[in-house]
Order: sequence, then structure tokens, then C-alpha cells
Amino acid sequence: MFNIIQKMKPKTRTQHGNKMGKKKLAQDVNPNLQKNLDTLKVVYSYPDNTDFLIRELFISGLNKKAAILFISTITDFKLIDEHIIAPLLNNKDENIPIHNIITIQSIENKHTIQDTMKDINSGNAALFIEGEKQAYSVNVANFEGRGIENPENETVVKGPKESFNEKAFTNISLIRKRLKNENLVIENSVVSQRSNNVVYTLYIKDITSEKLLENVRERLNTLDVDAIQNLSLLEQYIEERKYSLFPTVLYTERPDRAVSFLEDGYIVLLMDNSPDSIVLPATFWSFFHTSEDHYLRFMYGNFTRLLRIFALFITIFTSSIYISVVTFHIEMIPPDLLLAIAASREKVPFPAVIEVLLMEVAFELIREAGLRVPSPIGPTIGIVGALILGQAAVEANIVSPIVVIVVALSGLSSFAVGDISMNFTIRILRFGFILAASVFGIYGMTAVFTLGLFYMISLKSFGVPYLSPLTPKYKSSGDTVFRRVLQHETFRPGYVKPKDITKR
Amino acid sequence: MGEPKDKIGIKEYIAIALFMIGTKTTDDIPSMLFDSLQNAGWIAPIISGILAILPLFLLLHIAANYQDKSLIDIIYHIFGKFLGFLVLFFLWAIGFFYIVLDTATYTDIISTMYFVKTPAILIYATLMGVCAYGAKRGLEQIGSVSWSVLPYLQVSLFLSLILTIGQGNLGFLFPVFGPGEWDVLKESTMKISLYMDFLYLFMLFPFVKSTKDFKKGTWIAFFLILINLSITMVSYVMLFDYKSVMLLNYPYHETIRSISLGFLTNIETLFFPFWLIASFIKFAAYLYINIMLFGKLFKIEHFEYIMPAFATLIVFLGLLPESPTFAIFDLKAMVGNLASPLFFFLPIIMWTLAKFKGDLRK
Repeated sequence: MFNIIQKMKPKTRTQHGNKMGKKKLAQDVNPNLQKNLDTLKVVYSYPDNTDFLIRELFISGLNKKAAILFISTITDFKLIDEHIIAPLLNNKDENIPIHNIITIQSIENKHTIQDTMKDINSGNAALFIEGEKQAYSVNVANFEGRGIENPENETVVKGPKESFNEKAFTNISLIRKRLKNENLVIENSVVSQRSNNVVYTLYIKDITSEKLLENVRERLNTLDVDAIQNLSLLEQYIEERKYSLFPTVLYTERPDRAVSFLEDGYIVLLMDNSPDSIVLPATFWSFFHTSEDHYLRFMYGNFTRLLRIFALFITIFTSSIYISVVTFHIEMIPPDLLLAIAASREKVPFPAVIEVLLMEVAFELIREAGLRVPSPIGPTIGIVGALILGQAAVEANIVSPIVVIVVALSGLSSFAVGDISMNFTIRILRFGFILAASVFGIYGMTAVFTLGLFYMISLKSFGVPYLSPLTPKYKSSGDTVFRRVLQHETFRPGYVKPKDITKR
Repeated sequence: MGEPKDKIGIKEYIAIALFMIGTKTTDDIPSMLFDSLQNAGWIAPIISGILAILPLFLLLHIAANYQDKSLIDIIYHIFGKFLGFLVLFFLWAIGFFYIVLDTATYTDIISTMYFVKTPAILIYATLMGVCAYGAKRGLEQIGSVSWSVLPYLQVSLFLSLILTIGQGNLGFLFPVFGPGEWDVLKESTMKISLYMDFLYLFMLFPFVKSTKDFKKGTWIAFFLILINLSITMVSYVMLFDYKSVMLLNYPYHETIRSISLGFLTNIETLFFPFWLIASFIKFAAYLYINIMLFGKLFKIEHFEYIMPAFATLIVFLGLLPESPTFAIFDLKAMVGNLASPLFFFLPIIMWTLAKFKGDLRK
């Protein structure tokens, strides 16, 4: 009995606490100005909280006391001065509504303290007037951020060079600039309870499938967390298989790419504080493609695709093929090459696996460290890394020269796959294949490959099979490993179930 | 999971059929045919193929008449509960026995031709592990995987054939009828069990998108398999001549050992992975169909959960024969002799009974 009471206790307390909190927030605006100010002073810890400001004034024409409340760091001072305070003080007219005094484009009436606070938190100024049962919320928000810059991860030689920045409105404007259509809808929903982070869902009304949209909305609405600062975190909340090696949500910093997905019936998510967008659903191919594949002419674009798929296979398989050939299938190497390899490995005291793993780990370390070093000493680290780990390791007979070639080749090729998530996937997969090759040679590698293929094909991203349209087949423009001539890309991908499948 | 939710398309269905039957040319089936038919071995797939058209046609006719029913339901319907159960159980037992023997053969191929020092049980366990995983994923995944890799495997097979025929001797094919026309006909008839797996494929009937797709797919797969089988067997004779090909247990693997490509003199390891992928998929499909039948027989709805158990059982059963290369060869021939009449006469009996019941409308 006692146990039960103890267990019940914290539960009831939190319930009570929630109720109290809601009551307090849902309080109506009081006609008594001082009472409102007192409530808000407590909520915002007024004198301690240095950037929360209250400007009290007297509206001469109306003969009323008033107060303007705002957070100075996220508002535009000049706007408040010139367009709110000055007109109010200079007013002589007695029967004029507030909306006609203030000269700012957007004013809303708020009836509860809670709503007013929400607006203050997002950069608005709140105007309270003695004797009125409402507050005026004036849009003077001005958040600091950087301007539009070049994309850093998805660079192209040919094509637009704008990238998203941390302001959602700028990003939406970049998208609207490319897609001038009234059917582009931008919904917003608050996804976190405490920080009130807003996610903007973008889609084209007469193309995007209702079912897909419902699926995304549901996932966004069922989130129950205090804060989701940006899209990179949101991605991990809404994806299906959290432990999977393969990414199922595409992440792009290029507005042109996001727009081309929107035009195909995909859904794009944007958020403040994220210099990128999320594209849903994603298939394996969307990670493999880049926007430049389509900007380059047919032959050139497909040539880069060919190189990329080649690089993908080299990254995953070279090291493991080297190990399995050297340890299990020596007969397949032509005799002269075999002798050369044998001679170079003669002095190395390790089995091939250890040798390759040493170099692979070293390469990954250089790569990771290279990302984190302060930029002034970056080049030095590169030279030291390459020299010491390449040249010196060979001279010290720790690795054979051919392993340096193999590892460098697979390491360099991994950069050809631009998408960060897919890049990680293939880098980790490589180690799986190395281990399989060291145990069972080609047999082990094929076993792991088949397992991986079965796994990959069973993956789904928001109900879309991972390898579609390759298999299962859907009506689409067939943009998989290679792309077609633009005039022949006449269908939207059928797997996202667009309302209108033909592109004209 | 249980039964598949989405249906598979015609491409996936053809790919599965090709993997289940087409891969037979790369194991010890050719040597079984060469054993009795000498250099006329390559005619056997054609003659038994022509014979197999009749049961296939009847099966398709029956299946099209009972829309949305799989072969399992049709057999229950035609034979009644008790007799139907017996027929299906017999089919399942033959299928299961065949999987055990076939996986043992493939393990033997890998361990005698490629990994001589590795213990057979490890090779076997890996093989069945991958297959069980694939089978557990379900039919759609097996179909999709089959279709996505099929073009590459087919290219690799044809590359090896082109190289073989280039180095072979056309004269080895003559006399065309080897031991004599009558013998060829008689022995080929006995080998109709080559196409026995189509009987099992009919259990997938309700899971293929449309009846038309299934019909078309079955015929396309059938002719592709027929062509694949005979061309590969022709190339074996051309490369080795009949005396030595009769001695070889796994002619495909001897073939890829004997051919060379430019400066590469040993290229078997180039073809080996492709063949392995084909085998993994083949047994995943076999296992799936077999366990699905088992699940239907004993009313196990989520039959995918018993796959690991069966895979383990298969490993231990398959390891029982002491000298697999010979013991399994003989056992397989025995199962073949049992399966051939079953495959030929079961559809005829079914068709007659269905006709008798008045279910067949023209």
C-alpha cells in the first residue's frame, strides 16, 4: 500500500504542475495595465533579465497610460522608435484606433498573456494600454544571422551557387524565387514543447500525395520533446530505423536541389537555425545523385555518374579484394605481379589484414583530425600525415607500398560520393567487407554483399522502397545510375505517388 | 509479416524462376546428364523441356481457372482435405530433401573447388545463414534482389560462355545423338524433374501482380532457362569433349578454371562471386517457398520465424553424408527419378479431376 502511494506521488505532482502552468499562461489580458506588467515582470524575471525591456509612456491624445514590452536583442530598435513610440507620443487625435497610429505593416490583437508572450519570444513588441482587454503585437523582429553564401558541401562547377542559410524566411524566399506558383504551400508546426521550434513543411498542393503528407504531418505532430534546435536533430527524430547504417532522409543545402525535389512531388522541411533542408522521402539514388548531374550536358553528366558509381565500388571493395586475393586467391594474380607483391611484402611482419586495417584506420584518423584542426595549421598536418604515414611507414617495413596505394585509392574515391550520410555509410561498410574478406575471402565478401543487398532492399523511407524505381518498378523517368536526355524525362517518380505523374 | 503484402511484378517473378532453375547448369546436374547421354547431354534439357510444356500448360490452365488461389489451395480443393494434405506433404518432403541435397552440393563445390582448407561446416553455415536471412525478409525482397542482380549475373555467365566457346572445338558435338536417338529420348524423359521447380513456383501464383503476368512470366522464364541450360551444356562438351566431361563433377567450375582472358590466366575468382550471389538467392527462394508450404500445411501463420530453425536443421542434415561428392550425387539422382513422374502426372491428374468436378470453363 505504502509503495503504491509513493509511486503515485510524483505522477500527481507533475500533473498538478502542468495544470498550474497552463492556467497561468492562459490568463486573459487584464484591463489594469499594472497587473499585466506585474505578471510579465515575474515571468521574464524583469530586472535580472537584461535584454527584456519595458518602455512606459503616456499617449497624449487618448489620455491613456501604455507600455511597450520587447526583447531588445531580437528586435529592431529603429522600428520601435520611429514607428511605435514617436507616433504614440505625438498623437493629438482623441478618437483614433491604435491600428491607425502605429505605422508598421503587421499588428495583431492578442487576448491572452500566453499568446502575447509567444510573440514577444519570437521578436515582436507587445503594446499594453490601460483599460483595454487586449494587447497589440507589433512585428519588429530582427534576428541576427549571416547572408546567403556559397554551398560548402555540395559544390558545383556549373549551376547556381546559392545555398540556404540559418534563417528559414530567407530559405523560403530562395525557394519561392525558383518556384513562382500559388500551389506551393508552406505549413508550419511547432515541434518542441519548451523551445517552441517551428518546422516549415513545403509541398506543391496539386502534386504531392495526400497520404505522404499525412504521414509526415503525423510524425511531426507526435514528437514529444523539449527542444529540437535544427534539422540535423529533427532528422534523427523522424527517421524510421535509427540504428540502420543507411540514411533514409536526404539533407541538402542547395535551394535548386530542394526545388527540383518539390517539383517531383517530394516534401521539403525547413527550420530556423539550419543552413539546409530535409527532403522526404529519400531513395538510395537521391543520395547518389548531385544537382550537377542534370546541369551538365547529357554525356558529361552521365560520365560523372559513371565515375561516381565506379568510385563507390572502389571505396567499398578495393581493400577487401586486396586482402582476399593476397590471402585466399593468390592464383588469380598474374605471376609477375604476384612476385612483385610478394617481394614488397617480404619484410612486412603482419598479415595482410592487419596491414590494411592499420593504414585504413590511419587514413580515417587523418581525415577526422584534418576536419578539426584550426585552419592555419591544416596544410602542415596534411603534409606530416601523408609523409609520415605513407613514406615512413613503408620505409620502416610496417606496411608494404602496395597497401599504401590500395588504401589511398579507396580513401580518395570515397570523396566522390558527396552526400555526407552516404559517405559515412560506405566508409563503415568498407570495414565490414575487410573483416569478411579476412575470414572467408571472396566468399565472405559475397555473403556480406548479399546480406547487405537484402537489407537495403527491405528498407523503406516514408513508405517508399529504398531502391525504387529500379526494383520494385514504378513509372518514372528512370533516373537511377544514369539519367536520360531531359526531353525524355517525362514522368515524376511514381513511388512518391504524385497526383499528376506527367511532366509537361 | 506472414504472407507477402505487396505483389511482385513480372520481372521479379522471371528473375526468381531463373535463379531457382537456371543455376542448375552450374552444379552437378550437367554431369548427371552427361553420365547417361555422353556428348548428347545438351539435348536433354531441350527434349525434357518440350515434354515439360504439357504439365506447365495444364498447370497454367488450372491456375487461371481458380483465380486468386495458390497451388496449395487448389490441391486442397481438388483432392479434398485428407488426400490433398498427403499430396502436399509429399511435395514438401521432396522439396525439403532436395534443398538439403542441393545445399550440400553447393557447399561441396565451394569447399572442393575454392576453399579447400576451410571446414565444410563453416561454409555451410554461412551459406544457410545468408539464405535464411534473405528468406526471412520475404518474397518481395527476394524478388527485388533477384531482379536487381540478374543482368550482371547473366552477363558474367555469357562472358564465361563466350570465352569457353572461343576456346572449344565444334567437332566434339558430333555425333549429335551420342548413344543413339532412342536412348537420348528415354533418358531425357527421365530428367524432366529439371523443371520440377515450376511446380513450386506455382505456389507463388496469388502473389504475382496479375494472371497475365504470371502466364507470360512463366513462359518467358521457361524458354530463357531452356536456352541457358542447353547453351552452357553445349559449351562444356565443346571445351572438354564427352569423355572428360563425364568425369567432371562440377563442369561449370572446371570450365571457368580452364579459360583465360588476355593476360589474366586464372579468372575463376572473377566469376565465383557472381555464381555465389546466384546461389544465395536461389536457396533463399527455395527456402522461402518450402517453409511457406510447411507453414500452410501445419497452419503456421508467421512461418518466417521457423526459418532459422530449418536452416540449422538443413546444415546438420546436409553434413551427414560422408563423401558428399559421390553420396549426394546418387541421392540426388534418386530424388530426381522420384520427382520426374510426379511432376509429369500430378498436373494431368489435377486437370482430369478438375474437369470431372466441372470447375474448368473454357
